[in-house]
Amino acid sequence: MHIPLWLIFAMVALAFWGITGVTQKLSTNAISTELSFLWFGVAMIALGLTVLPLVLSHGHLAAKDFWLAVAGGTLNSLGAYTSFAALEKGGKASIVIPLCYLYPLLTIVLAIAFLHETLTRPQLFGIVLALVAAVLLSREAPGQTGQAKR
Amino acid sequence: MDLTVTATPPKAARKRFPAWFVYSLLTILLWGVWGALTKALSADIDAYMNQVLFSIGVLPVMAIVLVSGRLAEGVNRRRGIFYAFITGVLGGTGNIAFFKAFSEGGKASVVVPATSLSPLVTVILGYFLLKERASGSQKVGLALAIAAIYLLSL
Repeated sequence: MHIPLWLIFAMVALAFWGITGVTQKLSTNAISTELSFLWFGVAMIALGLTVLPLVLSHGHLAAKDFWLAVAGGTLNSLGAYTSFAALEKGGKASIVIPLCYLYPLLTIVLAIAFLHETLTRPQLFGIVLALVAAVLLSREAPGQTGQAKR
Repeated sequence: MDLTVTATPPKAARKRFPAWFVYSLLTILLWGVWGALTKALSADIDAYMNQVLFSIGVLPVMAIVLVSGRLAEGVNRRRGIFYAFITGVLGGTGNIAFFKAFSEGGKASVVVPATSLSPLVTVILGYFLLKERASGSQKVGLALAIAAIYLLSL
């Protein structure tokens, strides 16, 4: 069975992000979410500085691409912030977290509309299963704390 | 998890929908757009450069959190900071793999649903490391997630 390289990388991302679900809980069990987020950000910057030598020799980077990639970081972290805010504003974790995990739906719509992506029939079925699975996986047993993305 | 927020949803939206619902939709919007945007950029920016720029993008949100005035230390500052830092390193490394998946030809409409299954790992690790029991929903979700990953690879 041939496993495409993109899928291997996607599974590596899944694994790392999955582990952060545990470390994030261990952190917020000990300190406030805000302090945890700050140190999460410090680590992100430290990692960025660590990989910086790998990109310094790269050629020209268009200003538009630069700012869109920076905006990507802001969108992602702001999303984490609004997911915390939904819980803060009285949303039940058992509803808010599964609801937030429907975000791939929007990506799919945008990818088909603007990136002109097409899907095979098995992939379409897989996407439906993945969406249902993501919602079910984020519904924790009563009494356990909720987990936001990364 | 809780976080103080000073921004409020638009007045019309507040009247019709509860604030938590509006924030949840905002989350879907922000994360959903991020997935497609990242794929669109993958042709021009490599994974490492993307992570460098991503970390710059985190700064404004760190500033919002800083001024929130809720940086309570908690019950075990050293332990909490250690795990927060580890979360950032692992999350950023996961980001690089996510960016690589796109630059290797993965479609946003497939990679994003696949990686949204990361709670699969969290649930399994939570069971073994934190002795958390999986809910019935999560057990069904585990089985569906494995089937979904197989189908997405076809």
